Amino acid sequence: MTDVRNEAVTRLDSAVSEVFETMLERSCDPLDGEVDTVEGKIVARIQFTGAVDGECLLYASQATASVTAEALLGTPSEPHDPMVDDAIGELCNMIAGGWKSKLASPDSDCSISIPAVTREGLEGYQAKFGTKFSRNYSFQGNVFGVVLAF
Amino acid sequence: MRALIVDDSAVMRKVIERALRQAGLELTEVLQASHGEEGLQMLRDNQSASAPLALILTDINMPVMDGLEFLETLRRENLAQGVPVVMITTEGSETFVLRAIAAGAQSYICKPFTAEQVKARVLPLLRAA
Repeated sequence: MTDVRNEAVTRLDSAVSEVFETMLERSCDPLDGEVDTVEGKIVARIQFTGAVDGECLLYASQATASVTAEALLGTPSEPHDPMVDDAIGELCNMIAGGWKSKLASPDSDCSISIPAVTREGLEGYQAKFGTKFSRNYSFQGNVFGVVLAF
Repeated sequence: MRALIVDDSAVMRKVIERALRQAGLELTEVLQASHGEEGLQMLRDNQSASAPLALILTDINMPVMDGLEFLETLRRENLAQGVPVVMITTEGSETFVLRAIAAGAQSYICKPFTAEQVKARVLPLLRAA
């Protein structure tokens, strides 16, 4: 990996860990490799515009998304509860915002979109940006993926 | 104590309310709006309420009307005189913080946040109000 990618990966790992430890009170660790093994049915997307153009996608299975929403809310979630999509969107928002805030100024001077959430998976997804990588993460055995492209 | 939370995420509104309660605030009512325009309408409707609002927390990045425009409008229309406003945002850059303060926010909280951080930001404002 190039230095740019290495730095971006390190920042992303740090942002994910910070969000989970702070908001969900759970540790969340990256999984080795760059394989898309996560069954990603629910996908949240945040776009960056400004000094950095790009996007951050968080994708998770229905089961992982429900567990994540429960951890964030502290209350049980039904599988098709709209709060599950909302929770995944907010997690993506905080991870993308955390990644952005770790950029050196003035690169951090870019705005981020509100989250867009779909249940169509990542099939056919193609990043429109020069640098792209995906990482899988696990908390308490629940695996989800993050794609960062810029 | 009554508070208004403006955030397009119902999940975040719930998380913020929980953090306020964990901070020890005795909330009798929490008004919730999903964007700035809805928040302004609630404040206009609240003008004749017998119990005044004690606190407003607002996200910045929202559809319809963002948090900065919400704050500028409520100051211009004098809808919440003396009520402390706290911005809650993922936008932790100096540029955004300065814009929030210039618009009239008394403080800000960056997501992700702990209940302790919410307490540390909010309680001094309530004591000073």
